[in-house]
Amino acid sequence: MRVFITGLFLLALPGVLFGQNTTYQQDPNWQAPASASARANPLARRPETTAGGQKLFHRNCVECHGENGSGLVKKHAADLQLPIVQQQTDGILFWKISNGNPDHGMPSFSNLPELQRWQLVLYLRSLKASGEPSSKQK
Amino acid sequence: MARLLATFFGVLLAVGVGSAQESPYIVTYDHHLEEPGNLEIETYATLGVPRSVQNLYIAPWMEIEYGVTGRWTSEFYLEGQGTAGDSAVFTGWRWENRFRPLKREHFFNPVLYLEYENTSEATRIQKEIVGGGADVESPNDELQPVKNHELEAKLILSATLHDWNLAGNFIAEKNLSRGEGFEFGYALGVSRPLAALASGAACRFCRENFVAGVEFYGGLGSTQDGFRVGDTAHYVAPVVSWQVSENATIHFSPALALTGQGSPMLIRVGYSYEIRGFSTRLSQWLGGKH
Repeated sequence: MRVFITGLFLLALPGVLFGQNTTYQQDPNWQAPASASARANPLARRPETTAGGQKLFHRNCVECHGENGSGLVKKHAADLQLPIVQQQTDGILFWKISNGNPDHGMPSFSNLPELQRWQLVLYLRSLKASGEPSSKQK
Repeated sequence: MARLLATFFGVLLAVGVGSAQESPYIVTYDHHLEEPGNLEIETYATLGVPRSVQNLYIAPWMEIEYGVTGRWTSEFYLEGQGTAGDSAVFTGWRWENRFRPLKREHFFNPVLYLEYENTSEATRIQKEIVGGGADVESPNDELQPVKNHELEAKLILSATLHDWNLAGNFIAEKNLSRGEGFEFGYALGVSRPLAALASGAACRFCRENFVAGVEFYGGLGSTQDGFRVGDTAHYVAPVVSWQVSENATIHFSPALALTGQGSPMLIRVGYSYEIRGFSTRLSQWLGGKH
């Protein structure tokens, strides 16, 4: 039992230290329909548009998800680097950005043009590559 | 004067850090609510260009908008007006609430709007037009003593069609202070950002920072006057918003009258500033857990 508690503590420690939401659990009721899931990112072959996605991310997402997308615990925001987020299709991420989950604090960003929402998806993919939790997240 | 203007625009352009794209509408509401925990402070003014029997007036108002939850936004207004050759008066306050009943985006997204108004008959901000429209001819000393307690409801329907927003508001208002019956009005809007893609560069004048559109709004008469729509004020108004910094937006809209009622032209300008994570910062200041 003590080993289990120590393990849990060690798992949670980086999150406590860096404010990263490593314990993020998805809302099981926040499911994109199958039609949304299959949509492909029209900007997938235009990596130069990622820079615009980064700017949009900074403007709209950093407040809750943090500079590197690791999710602020105090905001109960998703750690966008986690496999449970990164394994979702582009279409699902686009749907989630478009619809939001207002009862859990995630606003809808359907006021952004469609291509800008796809730019955000493109940028979210680059967060996976950044890997390590950033010490900037305090 | 040049130095004053330079300072004013310098302050506008220098203000800090973000927000999702602001709606350019001044009268019409779409289905996008304030993000939860964010506070937006907005100042607007309506300049009424007079007809021959009217005087020029300016009616400023301030809005403090707060995202209570993801589906509830609350807003408090203070308003006044000054009329050339007459006087300047504080015309009252309003408290509005918008509720979004549905969780997900649909083709038409409904929002329910409820407002209490404690204003005088001298109000000229014309944030909405109901019944026959505002009285822009009578002198302030006649209008200001007449106080109105009014309840206003709106059904807001709004759709996102690719990069376009289409919004329609149906307005019903009841004056609780006197028997005026129910007054009705409408507002319709269509808008679009000038660029679909965001550039990677930090820029103030990029097309993506501008949203343009057009609004139509006017009165639909009242139950007392038999819905005489032709006797009410109707306007068509191009609208444009410019996001000048991460959290500040300038709005501009010249409205042209389509009937002989009200002012022939309304020039509206506004500036909004969003404080992100206001609730978190407030609780930090107050020594809370956040």
